[in-house]
Amino acid sequence: MRKFLRQSWIIIKLAWQKNLNYRFTVFMYRIGEIIEVLVLIVMWTAIYSGGGGMIKGFTLSEMVTYVLIGNLFSVAVRNFLPDHVSREIEHGRLSAFLVKPVSYIRFTFTNELGRIFLATILSVLSQVIVILFFLDRVIFNTDMSYILVIVSMVFFAFIIELLLGFLIGSIAFWTDEVAGLQASIDRVKRFFSGGYFPLSLLPVSLSSASGYLPFGYSFFVPASLYLKKIDLAQGLRGLMIQAIWIVLLSLILGFVWKRGLRKFEATGS
Amino acid sequence: MEIITVKDILKTYESYRKEPGLLGTVKALFNKKVFHTHAVKGISFEIKKGEMVGFLGPNGAGKTTTLKMLSGILYPTGGEARVAGFDPQKRQNDFKKRFGIVMGQKDQLTNVLPLMDNLVLFREFYDIPEDVFKKNLDELVDALGLRDLLDVPIRKMSLGQRMKCELVAALIHNPDILFLDEPTIGLDVVAQKNIRNFIKKYNREKKTTIILTSHYMEDIEELCERVIIINFGKIIFDGKLKDLISRYAKDKIIRVTATKEIPMESMKAYGKIEESDGVKIAIRVPRTDVKSTAAKLISSDLPIDDILIEEMPIDDIIREIFQSAN
Repeated sequence: MRKFLRQSWIIIKLAWQKNLNYRFTVFMYRIGEIIEVLVLIVMWTAIYSGGGGMIKGFTLSEMVTYVLIGNLFSVAVRNFLPDHVSREIEHGRLSAFLVKPVSYIRFTFTNELGRIFLATILSVLSQVIVILFFLDRVIFNTDMSYILVIVSMVFFAFIIELLLGFLIGSIAFWTDEVAGLQASIDRVKRFFSGGYFPLSLLPVSLSSASGYLPFGYSFFVPASLYLKKIDLAQGLRGLMIQAIWIVLLSLILGFVWKRGLRKFEATGS
Repeated sequence: MEIITVKDILKTYESYRKEPGLLGTVKALFNKKVFHTHAVKGISFEIKKGEMVGFLGPNGAGKTTTLKMLSGILYPTGGEARVAGFDPQKRQNDFKKRFGIVMGQKDQLTNVLPLMDNLVLFREFYDIPEDVFKKNLDELVDALGLRDLLDVPIRKMSLGQRMKCELVAALIHNPDILFLDEPTIGLDVVAQKNIRNFIKKYNREKKTTIILTSHYMEDIEELCERVIIINFGKIIFDGKLKDLISRYAKDKIIRVTATKEIPMESMKAYGKIEESDGVKIAIRVPRTDVKSTAAKLISSDLPIDDILIEEMPIDDIIREIFQSAN
């Protein structure tokens, strides 16, 4: 165990160092994120000003809070694994790992923790700064039991995103053209996370189906919990669904990775 | 004692054919034309502990594929391999700790980090005790002259320096076997020489078994007593370099130095002219006729000052082996 922790700590520290090489890029990405949030707020403000104080049970304040808080969660769970893993497969850097006495999956997860550290901290900070500008419109929830469930949910969502990211990156075993597919998957994920608009605006069948998908738990569900649109019992049920997804995705990843490696070995890059 | 045994190992790659253009791409989506490339077609050999063996062959001969199968990167399609008592296919961690590998065209180090940081990571991977790590590090870094570069990011280094770093990384855990895949590719003559000297010395001092692939003859000539020549996935020669010469070199070279220019026409009668500037002429003569031709040349009325008989350059011999295999 001590060895495991020491190894992980060294991997994370080195990942920070690597990441600091790209500090300007890391910083510039945040500008895009802030703009996205501002655009959504401007859009909703415009829609609400057209009449009616409520849209599907959301007041303007609630909607603004939804966008701000939801984006805070979504930047906290994000990672860059699809791009990283697919590139390592395509460029054959995976070979270098196959000859080392180390698990690639474990190394990559640990490395990613270190790698996203700076980006995530900066994203969360910039989102908090944006929230500060809208203090007059943001609704606050200081209910500790809700916060506890929300934090657990975001943490689970973080793990699910890591597993999903690794899986999407593994597509590179079967095709050289992952980039387009990745971009499309990202859009679908964003949609089903509630990143464009609250999932409760969807037809009932779709919105209840989305409850069984893992995506909503990185945005819509924790944001709805925050707004107390759903209660704690539903939140706990969500955590259960997430736990099932974590187990399921781990199994799928193990299987896919094994198959992918066999393919990698057959073609040899 | 054999540290590597390979028996009838073969590797077939699966690839797809695609007609050019957009239409071809669409067609390939629905109807993939699979074809198989037989990269290695059943080769067998044994390597003893401490040996330094060169794999020689043109591009696509199957050298790298063989090395990849020995190190467990690729699964063989058939046959068996034992390396340091392990089956490379199983890729056990205990096996991986027994060898090091340098792939000349693929860097294993993270190039935004300095060598030292990369090595710290390797220390963790290989579970190297601190004192052993320090000792190995000092030895390798001093032998390769990298002391001043330990804290420089790899990407700021020259190609030669990078290759040296790769070598340090491959040897930091004191492996029994070292696989070197084209370790001198793209390097200038001086850098090539440095790397060769290091490998030679390391093998002599540590008794590490070294398998090296290269298409630079000089690498093999200088380093390896034994050479395995591969072409089209088959071994065409396995033995001592000097046996290769006597077995395959059917011709010898006679070098003539003249006191004044000799017309080409009169030399042609003695053998095939390999090179000539009029005064210094090299002709190629069948091995069996060398003595008589030399005698004839001396007794001729040509203005000859000196005669030298040489073996064919090893490069040429091998080129001919490859060409005749075609």
